[in-house]
Amino acid sequence: MKGTVVVTGAARGIGRVIADKLSATGPLTVVGVDLAPELALAENIMPVQVDLTTPEGLEEVRKTVESFEQPLIGLVNNAGITRDSRLINLSPDDFDAVIGVNLGATFKLSTTLAPLIAPGGAIVNIASRAYLGNFGQYNYSMSKGGVVGLTRAMAISLAPDVRVNAVAPGLIATEMSVAIPEEIRDKMVAAIPLERMGTPDEIADTVWFLMSPISSYITGHVVVVGGGRSLT
Amino acid sequence: MTHRIPDAIDVAVPSSIAGFLFWMDAIDEVWEQVAAELHAAFAGSQEAARQEESILYVVRNDDLLGRSGPARAMVSAGLVSGARTAALEGARRGWTANVVAYDEAVSHGAVLQRALTILEDGIITGELVHLGPGHIGKALI
Repeated sequence: MKGTVVVTGAARGIGRVIADKLSATGPLTVVGVDLAPELALAENIMPVQVDLTTPEGLEEVRKTVESFEQPLIGLVNNAGITRDSRLINLSPDDFDAVIGVNLGATFKLSTTLAPLIAPGGAIVNIASRAYLGNFGQYNYSMSKGGVVGLTRAMAISLAPDVRVNAVAPGLIATEMSVAIPEEIRDKMVAAIPLERMGTPDEIADTVWFLMSPISSYITGHVVVVGGGRSLT
Repeated sequence: MTHRIPDAIDVAVPSSIAGFLFWMDAIDEVWEQVAAELHAAFAGSQEAARQEESILYVVRNDDLLGRSGPARAMVSAGLVSGARTAALEGARRGWTANVVAYDEAVSHGAVLQRALTILEDGIITGELVHLGPGHIGKALI
């Protein structure tokens, strides 16, 4: 793969590992949205700090991509937030915030950059296993279900030039999941047939697979990377 | 509860049927309409959940498959996921949440009658129920 790839939510966790993994796999320039310039980054990672829910933020990403003398070949929509609460207690602000960032920014950036993606390129949207339903996450689950719907629709509208797929991570060992109380985390892990949390590397590997020509006949699908949790 | 049903449907909803029925609008490719539609579903669902009443969303199969563009795909698929999560929460309190997805060939009156049956059922929950054959052989998980 040769060209430019944009990765959102690249400051930490899964997004950071995806950016690092893609930057190490070939002659790519990775535009890491949310990355702070002061972080120790590979030479081919370009940090950009913007608010993707604003027109100005979207425009800055577009201008950055166009400033490179190489084609845009991929977009990884990873940025996301949580504001967990049972439906009966969920505030309208928390509902709107999660929908706006997880789904709105993904939709807006995808439609902004799609015309720039070269034939043969790919979009990978990071959904979540929660799109299958998850107690206390009505807003998050709905936002990630929306991302799955967006994946299907854009796979149809951008074919045959650009493929669009989604990855739905289960319980992954990130700063967020490690902060879960041990007793609760142990119960969650006990419900996973592979008996462990996944790693950010395992998500990044799946993203790389869906970005690369190895998956050239796959579009419009969701790959659940959850250790078999959806079966139990 | 106030159901949201298209005005053109000439089927009266019996007042004895409790719960919230939300029939997705045919929205345009505009983010603000996506956000407003999802918010309307949330607001009505929350009110139903607080009254421990069931929830039912109605969407089109074509929208769910992504054939009508991103906006309708995002809303319809988002509603399916929202219903699954609501079903998990309602299971502890005795109310249900489901989605009916219909083909255009099925009359709206017939869709509404099935939807009301499911809303009133009290046992079926967390399900995506297809009306018509449009989903057969398609990838919808």
